[in-house]
Amino acid sequence: MPDYILNCKGICKSFGGVHALRNVDLRVQRGEVHCLAGENGCGKSTIIKAISGFQPQDSGTIEFNGVTYKSLSPVLSIDLGIQVIYQDLSVFPNLTVQENLAINTVLSHKTKIYNHRQQREIAKKVMETLNLNLDLDVRVEQLPVASKQLIAIARALYAKANFLILDEPTTALTRKEVDRLFELIRGLKEKGMTVLFVSHKLDEMYEISDSITIMRSGEAVYTGEMKTLSEDDFTRYMTGHDIAFDTNKNPEGRIRKDVPPALEVSDLSGPGFRHVSFSVQPGEILGITGQLGSGRSELCNTLFGITKSEGGKISRDGKETSIHSVNDAIQNGIALVPEDRLTEGLFLPVSIMENITLVNYKDFTHSGILSQSAQESNSSEWVKEIHVKTDDHLLPVQTLSGGNQQKVVLAKWLSTKPKVLILNGPTVGVDIGAKYDIYQHLRDLASSGMAVIVASDDLAEVVRLCDRSIVMRSGVMSSEIPGEELTAENLTKAIM
Amino acid sequence: MKKLFGRNEFYVALIIVLLAAFIQAKSGLFFAVNNIVDLFRAITVNAIYALCAMFAFVSTGADVSFPMIAGMSTYIVFKLGVETGLPAFVLVIIALVIGALCGCVNGFFIVKFHFNSLIVTLSTSSICYGIAFGALKGVRINVPDPFMPFANWNILKVTSEQTGLGASLHGAFVVMLLMYLCAYIVLNHTMIGRAIYAIGGDEVSARRAGFKVDAIRFSVFVANGIASAIGGLCYACMCRNCSPMEYYGGEMIVIAAIVLGGVRLTGGHGTLLGCFLGTFLLGMVSNSLTMIGVSVYYQNVFLGIIIILGASIAAIQAARSMKTVSASDKEAANS
Repeated sequence: MPDYILNCKGICKSFGGVHALRNVDLRVQRGEVHCLAGENGCGKSTIIKAISGFQPQDSGTIEFNGVTYKSLSPVLSIDLGIQVIYQDLSVFPNLTVQENLAINTVLSHKTKIYNHRQQREIAKKVMETLNLNLDLDVRVEQLPVASKQLIAIARALYAKANFLILDEPTTALTRKEVDRLFELIRGLKEKGMTVLFVSHKLDEMYEISDSITIMRSGEAVYTGEMKTLSEDDFTRYMTGHDIAFDTNKNPEGRIRKDVPPALEVSDLSGPGFRHVSFSVQPGEILGITGQLGSGRSELCNTLFGITKSEGGKISRDGKETSIHSVNDAIQNGIALVPEDRLTEGLFLPVSIMENITLVNYKDFTHSGILSQSAQESNSSEWVKEIHVKTDDHLLPVQTLSGGNQQKVVLAKWLSTKPKVLILNGPTVGVDIGAKYDIYQHLRDLASSGMAVIVASDDLAEVVRLCDRSIVMRSGVMSSEIPGEELTAENLTKAIM
Repeated sequence: MKKLFGRNEFYVALIIVLLAAFIQAKSGLFFAVNNIVDLFRAITVNAIYALCAMFAFVSTGADVSFPMIAGMSTYIVFKLGVETGLPAFVLVIIALVIGALCGCVNGFFIVKFHFNSLIVTLSTSSICYGIAFGALKGVRINVPDPFMPFANWNILKVTSEQTGLGASLHGAFVVMLLMYLCAYIVLNHTMIGRAIYAIGGDEVSARRAGFKVDAIRFSVFVANGIASAIGGLCYACMCRNCSPMEYYGGEMIVIAAIVLGGVRLTGGHGTLLGCFLGTFLLGMVSNSLTMIGVSVYYQNVFLGIIIILGASIAAIQAARSMKTVSASDKEAANS
């Protein structure tokens, strides 16, 4: 009989008639790292809110440490030792490190008076839990994400947590920081902590978790040991259907070697990177990988004319050209799908149609007047072409899921009929199903003769998708890995 | 040292010193005792209003209702005082209750329905204006007898040897200082004060940490209503009469002053010192520029320039702190 610290039975929760959770069972054994996986909107955060007491369930019971509760409240949940590290970390950016570290403890004392000196002592003790050494008087808004996360974790540990919930903790971290976090989690586990690790990154789950619960559309569809779950099974449980993604890249059939390179860059320098040289043929998918801050995004921005180059040559189809602005890049048939689609690529409250046709307004105007019908027919073609899941392309983009939003960004740039398509982090925050959809599209586009450049720090993505990859490290191109050597191990070695 | 340069208060203080030196050099009259005393007298009420504006901005958002809450509550008790002759302390309590009720209305709509505080306080302001003028005629009323002792209370009377001009500091200055003392204690030495900053910094985090966000926001607006009423009474007693029209539109200069003093419109940032210095600087501009022969109309130009200057200091600082973040992010990535 396994010893369950947490045993949720038959949890149901609905919002305005929509079932967010249907009869979900979630069991976590004492002292394990349990992974809770699922695509966006599957109910992961809803069940966490029930466990943390923030949004009690409609029906079902939660058993914690052998005691059954009808529902939990935030205070009760904290008293039981349940602590949640939210994705946004719940820190106060305008307050100092000291206040952020101590505020929960001070609050739990329920005193009305605020004592600076006492708080400083508490903050020091909180730092001891993780052997941190931070300047207590700095405002938290001035710290990097990883430090904010450490503050949040230290705070939780000091509050006598015995059950730690980490909600997508690795999203904003570099690989090194992720390693450090995992080391920390393993250390906590040795001391008897139970960890519920919420994620949708498969490689991380295998690395850190003992067992896993997969949720889909408000139901728990799989519970079991991590080791016995194969990657294919995982994908099937996540998406509900088998996804056939051709692992054979078939580069010979695609890459056109008989013509000059679609894009050739020699000795290019710009803000954040130096002396980068590479070329990409029509039909080829080239990866650019490297950690956060390696100069990968900066290179993309310079290629698209967002930032100015500081020396070096760029050639398109064998002819030298210069790119001083985004307009130059578009003229040259270059398109960029930016990394952060929410702030750089989309107008969220505006319709799908407007978003798709935005960069080509000129094509739909007759003597200065915008033709609605031309826009509509163009946009509906694209929606069909790349399978955007929507009933009406006049709906705002924010009604779409992450994956479909990303497809809209893609459509927007494809509508400029580019010859060179650059994508920076094309599947960040995208569900696994939509991810494969996007991969397939990119491969189709390459087959049609487009040169595709994928900048990504998701190594699995580079291995799956690209024919070849260059590796950036601290602003310089450190190596180039040809197709036959393109494996996760080689990439990991190269980026470190 | 670095900390000093990073603060808005430092720059506002610097501008104050430079401007004072400039006016002194030009006219030789700035540091005359009567001018200094006059200046403190002139900013007393705005400094009280600045508290309202700051508490609202730090915790929630704009509050533009304080001048009209002040105007209406003062007008009502002046009218009552003249007509009934109730004792002063009863009248004061009535004024505070009226202020508190207006604050309750603000707080209720902001907390319960999550309406934008600017819209809600704009409406209450409009309603107070309507009541004072429509229902109560809104004429000028002289100080009722019960308030006479306070109206006549001057804590300091000076005459400048240089100019022979006299000035007096009204007792309301003491009221203002007491209110700043209370605000200081609340903000820096009670959990409510820390909660006000925490909520302004990140509302969701504050809820998760266990702060009673709604209760605290509600109390802030009630306290603002009470503070407005106090400010209104002080103003009327200093002028020895009350006409609600004089209160109308007083919020803009106050908000400009506190923004100058480092209060961020997005919440979570602001200090009492900044509030006071901002108010002092703007008071100086409108009070002392006449000394160097700047006409009343050009004062508004100066006012505008100084506000833009203050805002750009804040913007530059924000940009600088962003830079340090991305730099430290990069360091972390490379280490």
